[in-house]
Amino acid sequence: MWSLRMLLREITHRFPGFLLGLLAVVAAVALYVGLETMGRASYTETKRLMRNLGFNLLIIPEGSDMADFWAADFADSDMPEDYVRRLAQTPGMSADHYVATLQKKVLHQGHEILLTGILPERSAIDAAKKTPMGFSIAPGECYVGHAIAESLGLEPGGTITVLGKELTVARRLLEDGSKQDIRIYAHLHEVQELLGMEGRINAIEALHCLCVGDALPALKQEITKVLPGTHVTELRNIAAARSQTRAMVEQHVEFIVATVLVVAAAWIAFLALLNVRERRQEIGILRALGFGSSHIAALFLGRALLMGLLGALLGFFVGTAVAMHYGAGMFKLTFAEVRPSYDLLIPTLLVAPLIAALAGLLPTVIAISQDPAVVLREE
Amino acid sequence: MTVIRLDNITKRYRGRRGEVIALDAVNLAVREGEFVAIRGPSGSGKSTLLLTIAGMIHPTAGRALVSGTDIYGISGRQRARFRAANIGFVFQMFHLVPYLSVLENVALPTVLLPGRLRSHKAHELLERFGMAERLDHKPAELSTGERQRTAVARALINHPRLLLADEPTGNLDPDNSIQLFEYLADFHRQGGTVVVVTHDPLAESYAQRTLMLSAGRL
Repeated sequence: MWSLRMLLREITHRFPGFLLGLLAVVAAVALYVGLETMGRASYTETKRLMRNLGFNLLIIPEGSDMADFWAADFADSDMPEDYVRRLAQTPGMSADHYVATLQKKVLHQGHEILLTGILPERSAIDAAKKTPMGFSIAPGECYVGHAIAESLGLEPGGTITVLGKELTVARRLLEDGSKQDIRIYAHLHEVQELLGMEGRINAIEALHCLCVGDALPALKQEITKVLPGTHVTELRNIAAARSQTRAMVEQHVEFIVATVLVVAAAWIAFLALLNVRERRQEIGILRALGFGSSHIAALFLGRALLMGLLGALLGFFVGTAVAMHYGAGMFKLTFAEVRPSYDLLIPTLLVAPLIAALAGLLPTVIAISQDPAVVLREE
Repeated sequence: MTVIRLDNITKRYRGRRGEVIALDAVNLAVREGEFVAIRGPSGSGKSTLLLTIAGMIHPTAGRALVSGTDIYGISGRQRARFRAANIGFVFQMFHLVPYLSVLENVALPTVLLPGRLRSHKAHELLERFGMAERLDHKPAELSTGERQRTAVARALINHPRLLLADEPTGNLDPDNSIQLFEYLADFHRQGGTVVVVTHDPLAESYAQRTLMLSAGRL
């Protein structure tokens, strides 16, 4: 009790010095909590942005000629539509957002079009609440690619007859600069019927997780276990962009947090050294009165621990407030995801005092190894 | 009974200019209830002698017995406890803890001994020393005389058998110096042993024995 009283009295007496140390801890903890809180929002934001890049996995029937596939943009063989249900109902898959498609090249009024049947997305069971990706086209309707729409003068609300079936143009797609511009998307079951391929598809598009590194071999094994007789291919540019962006953000955050922690610890150590220097006579007199090393160490380490604890508490709330304030402006897609990271409070309250105590360790050792006789003779 | 017994105490320091002999085979015996003044020029080793008796400077050679205990034959922890229980110390510069009040400064040594912090005892002592109005003041708010009275009260709080004073009047005016020696004499009259290291000639009128220390030799 006496040591706590002495500790508090000393802090009050030399408050500016304590405040400088406290501010360093507050700044380090606030930065860490702020970056981590915004990092979590950023991760969700990145996922959302990445998802907007489109599907990054293609599951096609095994034995498809890949040269023909890349030339035509669809597989020449087919597989059961039930595969997509099987995938979606397999728990724990690292890919999700499954969309079954059936594509064939057809001639329409002298124009070559890619007729694409698309089934509204089926998500994995454990991801049922996720926002669906891809188009969700109602039966009797179609989405028309930009080039086709231009050539045939199609506008939303108009109709087009494909292989004898009249479809209402629900949406005219924007120019994409890809084969999408010559596609006509319709509901999968209507396209299957038009092509005489009921219950068959020739690709499943999927979104792989944002895992960093080459996860394809494991993923292939995972999918072919559920769907034997399929070939899994990764759209590398999209996948690489995802993992690179995420890795870059994580590296920046790690570097900044590590740098700030080291600087804060060095600053605390420096201030603690000044404090020891300033209190040389006090240490000498305490020694002369009979106070032992553990008593002296308790005074200095206790100071550092208190600084770390208070700094962590204040820093947590400052960091959270800053993240909440600026997060909404930074993450326009996911601003609702910027929430206080209360799970960081306990680890922060444990780690910050520990780092502060470690920073104060050397000054404490200097304090307790100081020869009181030397100080007391200095008068 | 002999309270202090120094046998051939030698203390050498290694400095940049070579070896310095601060104490040179010093022999001293102080009986219980004695008032001893040690005088000598600056640098003669007076403070080193006092700190050696207090168990704060390990001698290079020789043996120091205080109340029959070989104080350098016990551990540092035991020595600290022994000092807290048996020795009171008064310094020229008072050495009060600047952020504690007068009352807290005086009560501070009691935390080292069994039992609770004895604020009431500190209160009594300070009243006796005419400091009742200053209990909550910080050392910086006191006059030099008041600071030294506080330091003496702190030295006496644990009822030591031995009081060591290192130039206790070095910063005091004549009136306060007399008052200080009166406090030491009062402690002595109650059976305490006093060893005071000083330049002050006033000490001779209070001390039963005055020793001269010169170049580390008594």
